[in-house]
Amino acid sequence: MKTRFMLAAASALGLMLAGNAAMAQGAAPSCPIKLGAIIPLTGPQGPIGKPIADTAQLAVEHVNAAGGVKGCPIEMVLRDDTGQPTLGVDAARYLVDVQKVPAIVGVVGSGIATAIVSAVTTSAKVPMVSCCAVTPTLTRLSEEGKTGGYFFRTIPTSRVFAVAHAVAATDRGYKNPVVIYVNNDFGSALLRDLEKAIGTLGGKIAGAIPYNENQPSYRTEVNQALALKGDALILIAFSQDGATLAREWISLGGTQNLVLHNTLRSQDFISAVGARFLTKAAGIDNAQVAGASVDAFNAGFKAKFNRDPVGPGLHTVYDSAVVTALAMQQAATLDGTAIRDALRQVQDPAGEVVVPGVEGIKKSLEAIKAGRKVRYVGATGPFTFDKNGDVTGPALVWKVEDGKLVTDKVIDLEQMTALFKRIGY
Amino acid sequence: MIAQLVIDGLLTGAVIALGAIGITLGLAILRFANFGYAELMTVGGYAALTAVLAYGGTGAPLGPFSFGGFLAVALAVGLVVTALVAVASDVVVFRPLRRRGAGPLVLIFASFGLALVLRHVVLLIFGTQPEYYSREIQMAVLLPGDVRVMPDQLLVLAITVLALVALWWLLNHTRMGLAMRAVAENTPLARACAIDPEMAIRWTWIVSGALGALAGTLFGLTVQLRPEMGANLLLPLFTAAVLGGVGSIPGAVIGGLLVGLAENLSVLVLPTSYKATVPFLIMLACFLLRPKGLFGK
Repeated sequence: MKTRFMLAAASALGLMLAGNAAMAQGAAPSCPIKLGAIIPLTGPQGPIGKPIADTAQLAVEHVNAAGGVKGCPIEMVLRDDTGQPTLGVDAARYLVDVQKVPAIVGVVGSGIATAIVSAVTTSAKVPMVSCCAVTPTLTRLSEEGKTGGYFFRTIPTSRVFAVAHAVAATDRGYKNPVVIYVNNDFGSALLRDLEKAIGTLGGKIAGAIPYNENQPSYRTEVNQALALKGDALILIAFSQDGATLAREWISLGGTQNLVLHNTLRSQDFISAVGARFLTKAAGIDNAQVAGASVDAFNAGFKAKFNRDPVGPGLHTVYDSAVVTALAMQQAATLDGTAIRDALRQVQDPAGEVVVPGVEGIKKSLEAIKAGRKVRYVGATGPFTFDKNGDVTGPALVWKVEDGKLVTDKVIDLEQMTALFKRIGY
Repeated sequence: MIAQLVIDGLLTGAVIALGAIGITLGLAILRFANFGYAELMTVGGYAALTAVLAYGGTGAPLGPFSFGGFLAVALAVGLVVTALVAVASDVVVFRPLRRRGAGPLVLIFASFGLALVLRHVVLLIFGTQPEYYSREIQMAVLLPGDVRVMPDQLLVLAITVLALVALWWLLNHTRMGLAMRAVAENTPLARACAIDPEMAIRWTWIVSGALGALAGTLFGLTVQLRPEMGANLLLPLFTAAVLGGVGSIPGAVIGGLLVGLAENLSVLVLPTSYKATVPFLIMLACFLLRPKGLFGK
């Protein structure tokens, strides 16, 4: 009872603060406009976080060179989470309470994003546009209404993997595959999505066996899976364990109709298992998008850093910053809820297509100012936030030919979106 | 399903039994719980691997097995190297401590330290990735009752039986075996009968080192080699030794088989992820219900 009262008091206070902020900024925003960013710059994720932060800064520079938002330049307030959820939550608190940022971008770790959404941004009504958190847990929180619609991301969730697995299996006529999956949050969430996807595409999972990581042998798990008598095996396993599982599965007489996870798309896996056992195997992975909007980003990145944008999170963080800036321009006032709603408006399917780079952003800022609708097609290609703030992405199906990995089929973005709709995610 | 689990349990149990004999010999003759013993399995397994790598494989696969004839040579290398490492560890670590009259607790901690050193030397040389003697995948044989076993596993069972017979003969029909048993029974009395306890101790290290190398190589053959394989097997090994009764070799064998069976059959009632806790539960039950073990005196 006491906590409930405290919560009510806290949220009432939050509302008042938010209201005040909205009133203060409603008429004419004070320059510069702050944009919060939480990215690991040190710690184990520092090496990938640093270029992500640089790219976010590049996006802000592009927006400012294009004239800024509502006539103001944007200032990115960057905090280092060092890869730890506690520090991430601290950083978010600082950005929301002290810096009073109207939106937060970046946020690399899934665990950090989940912690910030649960502890800070949802109750503060500040939209967070994550560049890199893939966990389906956030989708579930959103479905349960625990994000208030304030969570978005520009990276596809692991549901894309579930769809790709289902397509790869049903394309090959597997009707009741067995699943062996890694026993953690990622694995069990993927399994739930996979069951739904396969059910829609005309199959039924014969059964699913979890495994614990890093064991020397999985004979018991494999025997349990064999007893289910499926017509194929979908293997959701990380590289080394995947090789152990696949070897034991094959040697105990399991079918060679394998559907493998993207972590097994490596030459190491093929040599550990033996190419002659993998002639019927298929696998899945994310596919890279191509197109004019992607080239526009790549060119802008190269102009600034004199190298190609290769690395995780670069395309997605650029989009997360730019789409947020456009939403700020679109929103009537610079408060979190208006920006949240505007994030969807700048992806209007009927709108003018606008692309990354100073020119593209300039065009879109002017179009929004003139009251025209825009559709931002970004560094990650055309993307649309679904009702949970998630985006989809293309995937590919690979196979092994003469001991080499070859792409068998690409599930492009339109097909993926259609499949998501059909499956009912 | 049950038949499969029983067979798997016996096959796992065979390797555990070999290792448990080494533990029980140590407890009886060296008179302390050697937590470093399981690392001798790792050393043996990797010593054989070194020979295999130096030769460039195990040769053409023999019949239904996954390996070629050279593995026998590699095994011999592993046995010798491990026996030497075992003796050296006694000379360098345990004998000086014994001479200073160190108690069992000091020896136990020393064995922990030795275990860490051995494990990390292996890790340093070979890295963390799993290794195999042969990358060949062999096909399981389907036995009546829907039971699948690998030819290698059946061979492991046969080798275990042979090793047990050899050990029995060694202990009961040689002077060295007599000396070991005498020291285990009563060291001062053995000394009075002109048996050198240091000699018996040295032979204990050699025999238990060789058994460890055999168990490690057989484990590597049927599962895989990893630097932490010995550490992971430590609990099942001690459980088997304690369950069988300290100092009893038949007890260690039966204890090993029971641990293997219990581990595998546990999946009928427990989620697979809890399989590794079974030896611990057995050990706990054994301490509470029958502390001297099944065959303890």
